[in-house]
Amino acid sequence: MSRFRRRRQGEVNIQSEEADYKDLDFLRQFIGETGKIVPARISGASAKFQRKLTNEINRARFLALLPYTDQHK
Amino acid sequence: MRHYEIVFLVHPDQSDQVPGMVERYQSLIERGGGKVHRIEDWGRRQLTFIIAKIHKAHYVMMNIEVDKPTLDELESSFRFNDAVIRHLMIRRKQAETGQSKIYEEELRDQEKERERDRRREEDVASRRRDGSSDEEGGRAENTADDTAVERAE
Repeated sequence: MSRFRRRRQGEVNIQSEEADYKDLDFLRQFIGETGKIVPARISGASAKFQRKLTNEINRARFLALLPYTDQHK
Repeated sequence: MRHYEIVFLVHPDQSDQVPGMVERYQSLIERGGGKVHRIEDWGRRQLTFIIAKIHKAHYVMMNIEVDKPTLDELESSFRFNDAVIRHLMIRRKQAETGQSKIYEEELRDQEKERERDRRREEDVASRRRDGSSDEEGGRAENTADDTAVERAE
């Protein structure tokens, strides 16, 4: 299967928004059910945006605002 | 002088000390010739995972403009304060003002809570007027009254 087929529509528009560790609902779109960050090849995020995203998600994780994994507790 | 954004987590048992702590940090910053651009008290929030056997923490965020010695002083005061369980300092390009997304959420929750309290008070008041409840009634009786009133309505 082509990897391009997994690419969700409309994700490109989302990148116009600024990623911020305080905007949890926005960041949650980019973490999977297990709490992992969704790869750019699936989310369709540009490399630049993915770097920013990773940074902000890790900040939120450090402050225990977002999970590292679903195995916590 | 550079702009920084700081978030720190306070142990929930020391939650009532937060206003005092914030004031202390504020005076420390101003003594060092810095500026405080924004302070947000996010209140007690559930942690997504346990830190130091704690499930909840009191979050405070502030945007400040300080020089390095003052920042170092702030950093060490976080480090040696046992009430602060974690802190994050990041550099910002400019002063951030306005409400953050989390704070908006927190304010919404507070508003909801206040409304709930108000409704409960109104409920109690209306029951007093009816004289259908005795004022020293226990909690169990009160909840029973609640359902009765709801059914009556």
